[in-house]
Amino acid sequence: MSSALAETAAAMPASAPPLLEMSGIGKRFGAVQAVQNLALSVQPGEFVTLVGPSGCGKSTLFNMVAGLDEPDPGGILRFKGRGCHARELLGRVSFMPQRDLLLPWRNVIDNAILAQEIEGANRREARARALAMLPEFGLAGFEKQYPHQLSGGMRQRVALMRTFLFERELLLLDEPFGALDALTRSMMQRWLLELWQHHRRTILFITHDVDEAIFLGDRVLVMTARPGSVKLSLPVNLPRPRDPALLTSPEFTALKREVLDAIEEEAMKSFMASA
Amino acid sequence: MMQLRALLRGVVGLLLAALLWEGAVLALHIRPEYLPRLSTILAAMAATPGAYWDGFLRTLAETLLGFAAGGFVGVLNGVIFLRLPALRDMLFPIFIVSQTIPVIAFGALVVLWFGNTLLAKAVIAFYLTFFPVTVNTLLGLNAVDPRQVALLRSFGAGPGTILRRLQLPAALPQIFVALRLAASLSLVGAIVGEWFGDTIGLGVLLLQAMYNENVVSLWAAILCAAVLGTGFYAVVAYAERRIVFWGAEQ
Repeated sequence: MSSALAETAAAMPASAPPLLEMSGIGKRFGAVQAVQNLALSVQPGEFVTLVGPSGCGKSTLFNMVAGLDEPDPGGILRFKGRGCHARELLGRVSFMPQRDLLLPWRNVIDNAILAQEIEGANRREARARALAMLPEFGLAGFEKQYPHQLSGGMRQRVALMRTFLFERELLLLDEPFGALDALTRSMMQRWLLELWQHHRRTILFITHDVDEAIFLGDRVLVMTARPGSVKLSLPVNLPRPRDPALLTSPEFTALKREVLDAIEEEAMKSFMASA
Repeated sequence: MMQLRALLRGVVGLLLAALLWEGAVLALHIRPEYLPRLSTILAAMAATPGAYWDGFLRTLAETLLGFAAGGFVGVLNGVIFLRLPALRDMLFPIFIVSQTIPVIAFGALVVLWFGNTLLAKAVIAFYLTFFPVTVNTLLGLNAVDPRQVALLRSFGAGPGTILRRLQLPAALPQIFVALRLAASLSLVGAIVGEWFGDTIGLGVLLLQAMYNENVVSLWAAILCAAVLGTGFYAVVAYAERRIVFWGAEQ
């Protein structure tokens, strides 16, 4: 089972169209070229993590994939093998921003079903489904609580639940664990992996943390300094399910070295440019 | 339990103030032209309860009507101005000019237009209330976290859904600040309106007492207005606590 999972990405037949494909994508905000000539593709079921120096245009990339920002003309954006405008992706991609952004006047359940409610789903049925999912998200018994009554880790899990309940093939997670303490964070990572193996969704995951990127991903993408593009696409052929002990294994360290070198090169570039 | 205790303490405070009033007038031999005894005032009210009750109800109706209209139009203005900034830039200066007209001058106009009707008083109460509600609604709507708007858009929500599910609820704390202010202002509007001529109402009672130099009934009218004002404010504040239970969090 575990080896089968590990091989899904590698063994994916080359003919299967990528779920998401971008090439030659650029985005300029006024005088700032945030993203330039960016190319990436994500296979169905793949867990892709994205790291890069701060200000490299990761969030710009995410906003485009979420449909919130239109890339500048000239690039190619394909979803499920069909070329499309970014705005056509609104409502087709499950997006989770950095902050949990829970609505303080809605309790846990009603926050979790927000996206479905917007879709026009029957509220009673959506609530019932969410209620059944609470234990899996470690929120059993908390359905009636309001966000201000929850800890940071729990709020983040409610936000993740909202993202998962909005059933789309592609999940976009923007540093979902960035604000959590180290212990909660590593627990959430393992829990996310379990969830992913159970639900088999495609995930594109932004993070600052190289360990997190390698520990979670089938493939790590390293972005260049601004203007952002993909500098390195590194397959992570580590067995699944992944164990925390992996973090200190030589294979892991070797991968980490490679990623860190790439990031450092880019960080130096942006440092020199600003100096 | 806590609330009950706080309420009890409030009642005790009121009773103490009443005793102090009564005692001070007696002990310091204050002449009734300046300050009559509380018991005299209450006795006068008990002697002709009908006049005060009718006046109370009439003024209450005017206040509520003006408040409701001002609140509704204020929130509506806020939403419209959020959507159409050009219209906001055009109308806002006019609103501000309208608010600089002294309510007395405006009251005279309204009575000329609408006559001595309940509607005329409600219009004056409306005039005092719609502007603060407009300003605060717009403030609250504009203060919504743009990342939250982006999140709802990513779920495929259109502008109407975003307004209903996010912007209006998020603006409620701000709106309620204005509504509490409007509760007091609408009573002022109703009473001032009555001064331009009417036969029933707390404002009428105040004016009659003043012309007749009847200090006792002047105080009785003041007490009625205080009860009305405090009661209405308390109702709005209670509604605020129930509806905006999450406070100004985020």
